[in-house]
Amino acid sequence: MRAGRFWAATIFVALAFAISSNAKDSKRAMIVLGFDGMDYQMTRKLMSEGRMPNFSRLASQGIFQPLGTSIPPQSPVAWSNFITGMDAGGHGIFDFIHRDPKTMIPYLSTSRTAGSEKTFKVGKWQIPLSGGKVELLRHGQAFWERLEKAGVHTKIMRMPANFPPSGTASSELSGMGTPDIIGTYGTFAFFTSNRAPFEGKRISGGKVYDVQVRDGVVTGTLIGPTNPFLQEKKKLEREFNVYVDPVNPAAKIVVGDEERVVQVGEFTDWVPMQFDMIKTQKLHGMCRFYLKQVRPDFMLYVSPINIDPIQPALPISTPEELSKEIGESSGRFYTQGMPEDTKALSEGVFTRDEFLKQAQIAGDEIIRQYEKELQRFEDGLLFYYFGNNDQVDHMMWRTCDPTHPAYVAAVDSAYANVVPEIYEKMDAVVGYTLEHMKPGTTLLVMSDHGFTSWKRAFHLNSWLRDHGYLAVVDPNREDDPGLYANVDWTRTVAYGLGLNGLYINLRGREKWGIVNPADRDSLLEDISKKLLETIDPETGAPAITKVYRTDKVYEHKEYLDIAPDIIVGYAKGTRGSNESALGEIPKEEIVDNHEEWSGDHCMDHEAVPGILLMSQPLQKRVTSLQNLASAILTEFGVQGFQEGGEANLEALGYVTRGTK
Amino acid sequence: MFGGDRIKIDKDLLEKIKKYAKVAGYSSPEEFVKHALEKELALLEDADSEEEIKKRLQGLGYIS
Repeated sequence: MRAGRFWAATIFVALAFAISSNAKDSKRAMIVLGFDGMDYQMTRKLMSEGRMPNFSRLASQGIFQPLGTSIPPQSPVAWSNFITGMDAGGHGIFDFIHRDPKTMIPYLSTSRTAGSEKTFKVGKWQIPLSGGKVELLRHGQAFWERLEKAGVHTKIMRMPANFPPSGTASSELSGMGTPDIIGTYGTFAFFTSNRAPFEGKRISGGKVYDVQVRDGVVTGTLIGPTNPFLQEKKKLEREFNVYVDPVNPAAKIVVGDEERVVQVGEFTDWVPMQFDMIKTQKLHGMCRFYLKQVRPDFMLYVSPINIDPIQPALPISTPEELSKEIGESSGRFYTQGMPEDTKALSEGVFTRDEFLKQAQIAGDEIIRQYEKELQRFEDGLLFYYFGNNDQVDHMMWRTCDPTHPAYVAAVDSAYANVVPEIYEKMDAVVGYTLEHMKPGTTLLVMSDHGFTSWKRAFHLNSWLRDHGYLAVVDPNREDDPGLYANVDWTRTVAYGLGLNGLYINLRGREKWGIVNPADRDSLLEDISKKLLETIDPETGAPAITKVYRTDKVYEHKEYLDIAPDIIVGYAKGTRGSNESALGEIPKEEIVDNHEEWSGDHCMDHEAVPGILLMSQPLQKRVTSLQNLASAILTEFGVQGFQEGGEANLEALGYVTRGTK
Repeated sequence: MFGGDRIKIDKDLLEKIKKYAKVAGYSSPEEFVKHALEKELALLEDADSEEEIKKRLQGLGYIS
């Protein structure tokens, strides 16, 4: 069907629907499944190969189409577009990483935690007189709040960029953005009697500890957050013992009253644990242990210490009892926002098979919970998020792309099916839903962005240096620790931060700002032009295909004061480098990506659309994440958001398909 | 104020401190000022080292 005719048909059906529908249809039932990172082109390919039969079945009765993503196409930004119906200028999330211009210190963009403001000091102790505070930094009204006000029951499970939960749905469980117990996105611990492979390495996202096996016993210490009851800054600690079986490849792990016997190659279930802050106050957490090896060297992986859903140390659900109910009925589960331990693989603690085993545990927990939730679902809106696809794709994408610079056929070809199999797993979730949802329920399946190979890493700060916009203190510095340690701010007019952000070192805004605000505009024009002219010498093609000035590209302007000045839209296959994201300035400008993290999407947003699959056409036309929420509201007879976020994906060659 | 060491405060600001100390339930303007300063100092003292900041950000899989 030609695109024009398709839209005409869609609009006709929509109009017919609108006429027959009642306003405020609070008894209507809709399920929205959010599959993070599900790529439109990969999905189409697998559907055409018959590997996603449930997607094909749903598409044949409804619609399957690309879905325009956010600028930039990063998950916290994209999901916030969906939640609020606004672009980043309106909800204030521009990147995974923002910076405080007054201190130039970067921080994770979606939430902020603060300790108690008032304390009472006695000797070495300080007693908090009020609880600490966790603040959601995403602004704007969530679409489900409008549904609730119209009497529609909403259940929002694991929505990204919703920690702490907004408190505006009937029930919510937080997802991406939920930290581990020490406040990071996940910090594993690895206890080994042979530290040699890690000597001199900077371990990211985890910590390696030396341990000794003495008389068959290993003693380790788990490190928690700083004890808020002590005036002195001291981390909470919890000791554990491992009793190694003298004959078999197995061990008994003891943490307090909890004991687990585990074989080599096995993960334990969740082990609840407490940190003693003071005699009467305990901080609850939980972790999984993985016994990697007992001989000749001892090796034990411990997952990031997660917030225990049964005794949550931070707010992870509303009502508060919800996480406890789920934990008690389906078992404890990963509460950490992105539970797949990609760091353990990239740092060499996990092999690929171990990573895939851990990711499967995390993914299966969520599917199990979803199936229970679906059985209970009657009417209103149920949103459920699945992140397994995204995180596994990041680590495994190169196995299905022999053109990736890190592809090694002898190693990677054996894993070529991993990515398609994750898609098949999501297809099975759709199949289960179709079988078990009540008649008359509308089913939407969506993703926040697509996916592709990350082949080339662009050192944005190095590019700025080479083009005279950023000055370094020592051009020969070999051990740049990042965080702009080697930047001479007195001679720097622009800097890169985060995965797509470029900022002007503006006087009156940045701590060491030197650019006169009157010169900002011409400087931005100059940088934009040169970025778009940049050719990757390796490929001969432009390295950057879009440069978005945030003061121009966003319809909403409320939070432009914290926005980058430019969002860099890297060409498909190129992404901002790890180094540049945190203020390092390597020697080269563009290099091959040899990281385990081989797939990505933080590029030109038009290169990586997501998907939208619907069991029936909606009354309102949907082209992007930003106008999807309005279409959902309209289905319930509720006033939508102000229209916006049009994406013309057909013009870009993403063929829209309707009913086959 | 503050024992032997005196700190000069603008008159308008002092008036505001007196007014809001009462509103916020402090027993005196001194207590209010002391608390506000302690809070600010704690923020600086508690500021993580650069290494800790980097570690926290690197927990994000997107950055190694």
